[in-house]
Amino acid sequence: MKRRKEVRGYLLLAPAALLICVLILIPTIETIYCSFFNYRTQMAALGMKFIGLENYVKVFSDSFFWDTFWWTIVFTAVTVALELVIGMLLALLMTKKIPGQGLIRAVVLVPWAMPAIVAGIIWSQIFAYNGFINNLLSALPFVQENYPWLGNESSAKVAVMIADIWKNTPYMSLLLLSGLLTINKEYYEAATIDGAGRWRQFWSITVPLVRPTMMVTILFRIISAMRVYDLIVAMTNGGPGGSTTTVSMYAISTYFTYGNIGYGSALSVMLLLVSVVISLFFVDSLKSRVR
Amino acid sequence: MKEKITPVKAIFIAFLVLYLLAMVFPLVYLVSASFMTEADLSAIPAKLIPSSLQIRNYVTAFTRQPIVLYVLNSFITSFLSVFICLIAGCLASYSLVRTRIKGKTLFLLFVLAISLLPTITIINPIYRMYSDAKLLNTRIGLSIISAVLDLPMTIWFLTAAFKSVPVSFEESAEIEGAGLSTILVKVYVPLLKGSIFSIGIIDFISAWNKYLLSQVLNPLEKARTVVVGLTLYQLEISIPFEIVSAASVITIIPLFVIVLLFQKNILGGLLDGGIKE
Repeated sequence: MKRRKEVRGYLLLAPAALLICVLILIPTIETIYCSFFNYRTQMAALGMKFIGLENYVKVFSDSFFWDTFWWTIVFTAVTVALELVIGMLLALLMTKKIPGQGLIRAVVLVPWAMPAIVAGIIWSQIFAYNGFINNLLSALPFVQENYPWLGNESSAKVAVMIADIWKNTPYMSLLLLSGLLTINKEYYEAATIDGAGRWRQFWSITVPLVRPTMMVTILFRIISAMRVYDLIVAMTNGGPGGSTTTVSMYAISTYFTYGNIGYGSALSVMLLLVSVVISLFFVDSLKSRVR
Repeated sequence: MKEKITPVKAIFIAFLVLYLLAMVFPLVYLVSASFMTEADLSAIPAKLIPSSLQIRNYVTAFTRQPIVLYVLNSFITSFLSVFICLIAGCLASYSLVRTRIKGKTLFLLFVLAISLLPTITIINPIYRMYSDAKLLNTRIGLSIISAVLDLPMTIWFLTAAFKSVPVSFEESAEIEGAGLSTILVKVYVPLLKGSIFSIGIIDFISAWNKYLLSQVLNPLEKARTVVVGLTLYQLEISIPFEIVSAASVITIIPLFVIVLLFQKNILGGLLDGGIKE
């Protein structure tokens, strides 16, 4: 009877496990495998030629890769840091019993539910040369001409980051809120009696107790910021001059525009490696989540 | 009992109001732009309210691209994806919570790990696999991979839900001679239908919004989803923003109807610790 139950357990797990193996695990291994080959779709007749680490040697000396790499890192660091700070403020506010609490929580779902492509389209119009911001500024007497927000490298980068912060802070704040809601109010009452101020309470009670949720949330945001694609495709399509092209965008064009599967795979594996290294810093937080 | 408004509180409230305005502004601007004329859009100072309601933008949006087909494709793909995700997710979660199989923790960690994978590490092999299996440009193909990518958060969420059901419920049903399928359908599903529905909605929105996979796997019109179809308006240089806005509004209407109707479920789902990328 027990034995039968165990077999049944595996059978029930099988569909999910099979789907994950066939569609995620095997493709990942295949990509790692392909990264050691010279393989181009336009020259399919030549087949795959094993070239060892040559693709990686090329990656390391590819200055455009490093541009996309550092931009991806900067984008991730800045957006996640700001999303965390704003998200925490917002989450703290959402725990308060204030009028319109339901409305606040509902409004926060707007950017969350919006497809990144649509968010990118809207923000690109807001920052466009003849767009909303320039048309507002032009009304001011001292503004002489329109500023090309998306046509200048640094302002395009800032614009893209603003759009991402708009899109993803709500998610951050809701997950932080879920952590905050589990904190027992009595801690704060006791701390108040002991004369601890708000600031002190935040650092000594809130932060330590919300830390497990916070770490997992940060990890997930970091990983999804590192693979950013849709939003930037819709806003700048990687421009101007490739300055907002992320590693994901570079890999996709290497695969599908240039048909260079080997090199595209090596680029993907680089991003995978960085994700793995970052995840390792969060292993303890992840473990606590499994328990 | 009126509380005193301290400076700190005032700053908090100001922050909140500003933030909420910032949250809704892009949506309001989008909807408003979809009714504007080209002149309205480039007016100085910038306009927020259209001078007249240009329904024509929508007529153009509907005629330039087969957007009705795209929306239909998105619906079918997302529904199939939710269906696959919930079936596989419920079975796996039941197994992880209520049977004595080995390696549960390992499996959960594994599931968590795969949700951290960048999409670009799987997309090319998936493309080739689909090409061999004739699954490119099909709604079912896209929905399967979409479901698998949402499976980790679904399993995480549902294992927590299954844990909340007392084991005694199942045991008493078992004593009465109920089989596994009866137990799942008659005991768990009725008790967990709220949770299952919540995660289903979140999966739906996630599937609807998937762009990269849809762009790569379904490039042809017949199975193209609306988030990809939307970008085709922009590709034609002459298409102005008001038309793109109208198409965008058409794209997001189903999402926002869902958000309006089911915001409690969505919030419940997210606040119960559902991990969504």
